[in-house]
Amino acid sequence: MAGMKTATGDYIDSSWELRVFVGEEDPEAESVTLRVTGESHIGGVLLKIVEEINRKQDWSDHAIWWEQKRQWLLQTHWTLDKYGILADARLFFGPQQRPVTLRLPNRRALRLRTSFSKPLFKAVADICRLLSIRHPEELSLLRAPEKKEKKKKEKEPEEEVFDLTKVVLAGGVAPVLFRGMPAHFSDSAHTEACFRMLSRPEPPPDPGLLQRLPRPGSLADKTQPHSRWLDSSRCLMQQGIKAGDTLWLRFKYYSFFDLDPKADQVRLTQLYEQARWDLLLEEIDCTEEEMMVFAALQYHINKLSQSGEAGQAASTDPGLDDLDAALNNLEVKLEGSAPTDVLDSLTTIPELKDHLRIFRPRKLTLKGYRQHWVVFKETTLSYYKSQDEAPGDPIQQLNLKGCEVVPDVNVSSQKFCIKLLVPSPEGMSEIYLRCQDEQQYAHWMAGCRLASKGRTMADSSYASEVQAILAFLSLQRAGGGGSGNHTQGPDASAEALNPYGLVAPRFQRKFKAKQLTPRILEAHQNVAQLSLTEAQLRFIQAWQSLPDFGISYFTVRFKGSKKDEILGIANNRLIRIDLAVGDVVKTWRFSNMRQWNVNWDIRQVAIEFDEHINVAFSCVSASCRIVHEYIGGYIFLSTRERARGEEQDEDLFLQLIGGHEAF
Amino acid sequence: MGESNDDIDQMFSTLLGEMDLLTQSLGVDTLPPPDPNPPRAEFNYSVGFKDLNESLNALEDQDLDALMADLVADISQAEQQTIQAQKEFSQNQNHSASLEASDCSGAASVGYGADVTAVSISQYEDELPPPPDDPMLDLPLPPPPPEPFSKEEEEAQAKADKIKLALEKLKEAKVKKLVVKVHMNDNSTKSLMVDERQLARDVLDNLFEKTHCDCNVDWCLYEIYPELQIERFFEDHENVVEVLSDWTRDTENKVLFLEKEEKYAVFKNPQNFYLDNKGTKEGKKTTEKMNAKTKESLLEESFCGTSIIVPELEGALYLKEDGKKSWKRRYFLLRASGIYYVPKGKTKTSRDLACFIQFENVNVYYGIQCKMKYKAPTDHCLVLKHPQIQKESQYIKYLCCDDARTLNQWVMGIRIAKYGKTLYDNYQRAVARAGLASRWTNLSTINTATPAQPSTGLKTSTTQSNGQIPQAAPRVSTILQEAQRQAETAKVRPEGNQHKLAPPVAIKKPPAPPRRSESPGQAGAEQDFMSDLMKALQRKRGQLS
Repeated sequence: MAGMKTATGDYIDSSWELRVFVGEEDPEAESVTLRVTGESHIGGVLLKIVEEINRKQDWSDHAIWWEQKRQWLLQTHWTLDKYGILADARLFFGPQQRPVTLRLPNRRALRLRTSFSKPLFKAVADICRLLSIRHPEELSLLRAPEKKEKKKKEKEPEEEVFDLTKVVLAGGVAPVLFRGMPAHFSDSAHTEACFRMLSRPEPPPDPGLLQRLPRPGSLADKTQPHSRWLDSSRCLMQQGIKAGDTLWLRFKYYSFFDLDPKADQVRLTQLYEQARWDLLLEEIDCTEEEMMVFAALQYHINKLSQSGEAGQAASTDPGLDDLDAALNNLEVKLEGSAPTDVLDSLTTIPELKDHLRIFRPRKLTLKGYRQHWVVFKETTLSYYKSQDEAPGDPIQQLNLKGCEVVPDVNVSSQKFCIKLLVPSPEGMSEIYLRCQDEQQYAHWMAGCRLASKGRTMADSSYASEVQAILAFLSLQRAGGGGSGNHTQGPDASAEALNPYGLVAPRFQRKFKAKQLTPRILEAHQNVAQLSLTEAQLRFIQAWQSLPDFGISYFTVRFKGSKKDEILGIANNRLIRIDLAVGDVVKTWRFSNMRQWNVNWDIRQVAIEFDEHINVAFSCVSASCRIVHEYIGGYIFLSTRERARGEEQDEDLFLQLIGGHEAF
Repeated sequence: MGESNDDIDQMFSTLLGEMDLLTQSLGVDTLPPPDPNPPRAEFNYSVGFKDLNESLNALEDQDLDALMADLVADISQAEQQTIQAQKEFSQNQNHSASLEASDCSGAASVGYGADVTAVSISQYEDELPPPPDDPMLDLPLPPPPPEPFSKEEEEAQAKADKIKLALEKLKEAKVKKLVVKVHMNDNSTKSLMVDERQLARDVLDNLFEKTHCDCNVDWCLYEIYPELQIERFFEDHENVVEVLSDWTRDTENKVLFLEKEEKYAVFKNPQNFYLDNKGTKEGKKTTEKMNAKTKESLLEESFCGTSIIVPELEGALYLKEDGKKSWKRRYFLLRASGIYYVPKGKTKTSRDLACFIQFENVNVYYGIQCKMKYKAPTDHCLVLKHPQIQKESQYIKYLCCDDARTLNQWVMGIRIAKYGKTLYDNYQRAVARAGLASRWTNLSTINTATPAQPSTGLKTSTTQSNGQIPQAAPRVSTILQEAQRQAETAKVRPEGNQHKLAPPVAIKKPPAPPRRSESPGQAGAEQDFMSDLMKALQRKRGQLS
């Protein structure tokens, strides 16, 4: 239509020339020039461009980006006039889906294609669908922090970058499971590896790396990451992200809805990884005791995920397998022995008898370890002066039920002690058992542990407990040296425990590896029976139980105040915190909140609570958009209901985090 | 006599039920298939039981004695018969009856002997290992008959089933029982048979039926240690026998059945625990008026997430120094992982905290009159100790709070940290048991107390605001209306309404005040009965040796 001209070549309609660059924003990109009028529809322009380029290619994903206005021209029925495009507009005809490198919560890099034209909320939802993470509304993207020291770069080894750019998901269809993973992962060996990376916890990081990575030293430091969140209501292109850029994918809102170990393999793992890194990098503080539990869980999770390689991939339904195993067991028992034997073995309880050295710590005692004949039957420990006196009355008899068992082991100096704190009506009595070697120690230790839980050595877990203790001892022999031995091959890393990789650096400074290992082992005995997902869930729960869990910090200046303060945003409340001391000054709960406003000009957020309590502050460390979005996001998340399932009310979210019009 | 005879009847019927079970378990090999219809057998007994019942009502204590002796006289006969392996059904019955009788009398004996003892604990020696004077218990359970044609897998399966069955029976036969004397509010006592599988909840349900009380959620089993001057509630999920077996033989400890509003205070007024702004007047003011819906959402937030939220408690408490009567003031913090304190010269940031105690192996108790006993600064003390410790010891930790409110917050906080969601589950069961009626009444009182509480819906402001909280105000109000309506109807005809709402089990009886009038001497009669059982046992032992 546009471009009618006379025989002399003069245009007689009001058409004008529009130059469109083809490709992503590249100044040297090839360009096509079209004749258009103000009435031309975007759809028509698109068609013309494709004709003009005259190349066979799938252009369906391409759209026009208007550089000056930082806007995609996505309404194909709009005219150029309606968009206000004139001849000086710099337009780029490029793909909407572009590759980016995502830094996942487990710190691995993954390349994939994501939409540069949809609002980020949508784009993240698509990414999560690809990665099979449910409830994408809890996640968002951050800009990667600027790298300060590039010169060190060459020292670091090339890391493996996983690539999912080739994978295309059919829209609107729930991913089908195939061989235990969503079908789109089972295309090739590489994508399968990708899924393993996503769904399997990573081994503990190198302690040296932990030392090098930046850790927040103050509350003000903790506000830094939160200034990098991208805006959920605008697209990546509008936020200056370019193809190939690195972005961080993180759980942004600490309100994890309906965590289901069965459906949330990837989500659970990535959540665990985020929690773990939070703790290791001291983003969240915990006490020494809590750190030991976290370390023990990490150790346990790592052990399971390393050893479960073969078994887990094959099994589709663990429940069925258990049943099979149980049935097999029963069969073996029945075949192997006459029924009377079965009963015998079930009714007779194994016992341990041996010479052990015993020490009873008391005030003002000069006695050391003494050799005794010790008999351990059911949950009771009795000791005698000598074996000959065993039929008579023991010197002492202790029921170990409910007692505390503390290992005191040093493999290199061949010290194998079991410290028992045994409750009795009169109080606790302490007794130390000293074993001669690893084997003896492992058997007695396992017995003590079971007895403390009220179980006997007839319990089916006895043998595995003994094995676990032996494994631990061997690992202490290997890994106890601390940072001295990172020459081990990748295979050894599964077995050896370097305790420094499991705890935050401040504990590395506080304890020697030798001291740390037994404490982690001690905590481990309480979690040793957990399965992989149970352990991950336990880790996440313990993380959630920390008092400072889920608080995002921002530096703000409250109205009427002369100094900067910290505003903490959690899933149910706002917290005003003293910047210098870190004390909580005041807490407001979202449930008492009536409304909030943002004044974009003076970057001030004003909130009204019940009983006419008004709070206003301006944001210092981050854009007030981010603060505003955080609050709105949490309100949105609190409206979720189980019945609704997974579809999310995007409009409500965008409305809450609000203000597309504000810009 | 009515009340105590009821108890005795109850005990006898349980006893007879046990005999039945035992008989079945011992008779596994004589009854070809696992008996599919035990009810018939029970019926047979119930005839006998009726006779017993009548005789119990009619006879004097001496006659009871004689009855007991009769039962015991059967023992030796039964023993001989079983040794001969002539296992006829009736003899088995006799045998097991006598076994059970001896067990029971064993349990009773200590209770009588100690006289003051509230609970008789005995079973340990009588049961594991089996008493030497009772050879019957030493006999291993006869193995199921070997299958002569067991070549196919099906047969193996059948065999496995039988073994399983036999093991179950074996287990059942070994179930430990205690006769527990529970002290009521009115200084009367009731004796209950508690088997080792029963939880505090089961015992409570049992007591509800016996006392015809109103079954509200505040009723609890309560243990008191007169010697240590400490006390606490049994948590509903706790195994009663397990707790009681930690008591010593000559213990003065008692089990009480009473109402304690502290038991589930957190679920009735969560704001007192979760939103209490430390000491500020403002905090207290807001806590009083909180509507039911907000409470519910607070509870849901705290107890229904992936992990429960432990109330943020911190403050200065007094700590009794080990083995001394001096108290030191320290700053304590409650965390899910334990109680911590701020060491001297340190701040209260997580990294500086020192662990005071973790909850895995301790129970929390209220301390009684610690001011007198230990020179505590106040009488609001809480005590942490390993459940097995029964005497004074340096391993018992004493903390003293400034006021009762703080004490209750700490005790509840520790229970939440220790038991987690179980506590909430217990509460919900208790509510279900109480028949919901009281809950609706609560709701209505709250509503009338704060009639114009608009806080649930957010004001729709006319000014252009960027974020409006889209809480479903209409939904909330309809729920409230519904609740109110329910409450009103409940007020009009309380019983009629309950039937609609409550599970059928919960409302067997209309709520009636607990019966307080009992003639003195009832407990005595019971004790006489116990003593007879005991005498019988002694006699039996005498005969055997």
